[in-house]
Amino acid sequence: MTEEHNETPQDRSVIGVYHLVKTYPGQNALDDVNFAIANGEFVFLVGPSGSGKSTLLRMIYMDEYPTSGQVVVGNFVSTRMKRRDIPYLRRRVGIVFQDYKLLEDRTVAENIAIGMRITGAAPFSIKRRVASLLNEIGLYHKREAKPQTLSGGEQQRVAIARALVNHPAILLADEPTGNLDPDSAEDVLRLLFKINNGGTAVLMATHDHSFVQNFGQRIIHLRDGKVYEDKKTGLVGNLSDRLDAIRMDRERQRRVEHAIKRQRTSSLAPTKTE
Amino acid sequence: MWRRILYIVDEALRTVRRHKGLTSISVVIMSLSLLMLAVFLLATDNLLKLVSETQDEMKIYVYLDDAAGQDTIEQLYKTLLTQEEVSGLQFVSKEEALADFKGQLGEDADLIAALRTNPLPNSFWVEPKPEFKTRDAMVALAERFEQLRGVEEVRYGKEFLDKFSSIVKGIYTIDIVVGFIVIMSAIFIIANAVRLTVISRQKTIEILKLVGATNPFIVAPFIIEGAFQGGVAAVLSLILLRIVTEVSRSAIPEINFFSVEKSLVYMLTCILIGALGSFMALRRYLRMR
Repeated sequence: MTEEHNETPQDRSVIGVYHLVKTYPGQNALDDVNFAIANGEFVFLVGPSGSGKSTLLRMIYMDEYPTSGQVVVGNFVSTRMKRRDIPYLRRRVGIVFQDYKLLEDRTVAENIAIGMRITGAAPFSIKRRVASLLNEIGLYHKREAKPQTLSGGEQQRVAIARALVNHPAILLADEPTGNLDPDSAEDVLRLLFKINNGGTAVLMATHDHSFVQNFGQRIIHLRDGKVYEDKKTGLVGNLSDRLDAIRMDRERQRRVEHAIKRQRTSSLAPTKTE
Repeated sequence: MWRRILYIVDEALRTVRRHKGLTSISVVIMSLSLLMLAVFLLATDNLLKLVSETQDEMKIYVYLDDAAGQDTIEQLYKTLLTQEEVSGLQFVSKEEALADFKGQLGEDADLIAALRTNPLPNSFWVEPKPEFKTRDAMVALAERFEQLRGVEEVRYGKEFLDKFSSIVKGIYTIDIVVGFIVIMSAIFIIANAVRLTVISRQKTIEILKLVGATNPFIVAPFIIEGAFQGGVAAVLSLILLRIVTEVSRSAIPEINFFSVEKSLVYMLTCILIGALGSFMALRRYLRMR
């Protein structure tokens, strides 16, 4: 990676955010946020919960419009959007959530295919694309399974495949590892890196700052609705080492949380008499 | 294009199949409220038929002066026929009237023989156009006929007409009030039944929006599904209505079931109500915040 994120690549940027302000009654969610994401770039969006990450993502996929300022996604400009343009924007932007948002009454393959079926694509090209995505996420053998029979990590991988089905220019992920155990989180993160290597830009929001420190990626740090820091981190060791370090951190954290929970329940719960 | 239609039909059938329980509940709810509506419509239909049959028999009898000669009768015939309210006219001569009367008397026809002269007058039976078979129009018409030269008397069943028109007026008022209540509650119940199925698929709608489905693509399967439910509910309610009709025929034998055309119109209306209900229930989920 040789190019710098701050070289104002307006012609090559997939997302541009300019003086973005979003106010809700009695609350400033976003306050003069500026950044651009280049084609093929990987960016972590970090910040504590309530710092405006999800709001910012919603502005990007234009579920909401800015109070002032502008969001530009490819050829779509927030100040010039019409309601009927939204679906076409959504096909250029893959979206992944913490809670996967899969349809429980459809198989894994059908969940991935839905994004393409709504475009009226030919059945054979849908089939081919879905098969290739299933291979990419390593779940081809579970293509006929229902989502609820899958683990959380597998479900999130299916959701990522669905987001990619129309070859979007950028993948937005809002706390994609938030519900996952460390191993699955690692799988999902590896998958996102792999996708990024294929040329798709990725913007991943997470509240877990330590989790994303050491991957050598750009980090936009959001705090109280403002960009607090926008920097590129250095690489420390290789990918596996870094993931190992995270796993150990996670494991320690899990143990501590578990111990606290156990203490709390044992002091609150009435003694059993049976 | 055909691919899109295929997608839409496939999606609609899929949701019906997947949500069998919910679909059948809402179909049952729909058919019961439609039955209520159908009973009302059938009652109204029969009532209107009864009224129109009664009206068919309404005639104005214009009795002529015995002094009126052939010229006057012909003149009168022309005058009556050119009235815009009149659709038909029949001349009944003294002799025909007497023969008729004889026929009615049957065995007592001998009484007629005792008569030296024919006491029955020549007459015209005037058939007003249907739109003038109201009480007020008949009265006005009769009054005008009485002024004509050669007319002795005009009869049109005044007492019957008075009673009939006041009964019809009362029935219509009740019918409209009951009809309004029944239609409103049917629409309300159906809208809620449909809303139930839409709410259960809120997540599907949300996801379809996220992956970039255009509104027609999101809405169409639901509308097809609503139409399908409406159609099934219509057939069910017609079957139930048929049973109700057969049962009540033992008390009121004159009851008629809907004609084939009316049944078809009824079914189409129900299909439309189902589709419209889906659309209305969906609208609020499709708006952007």
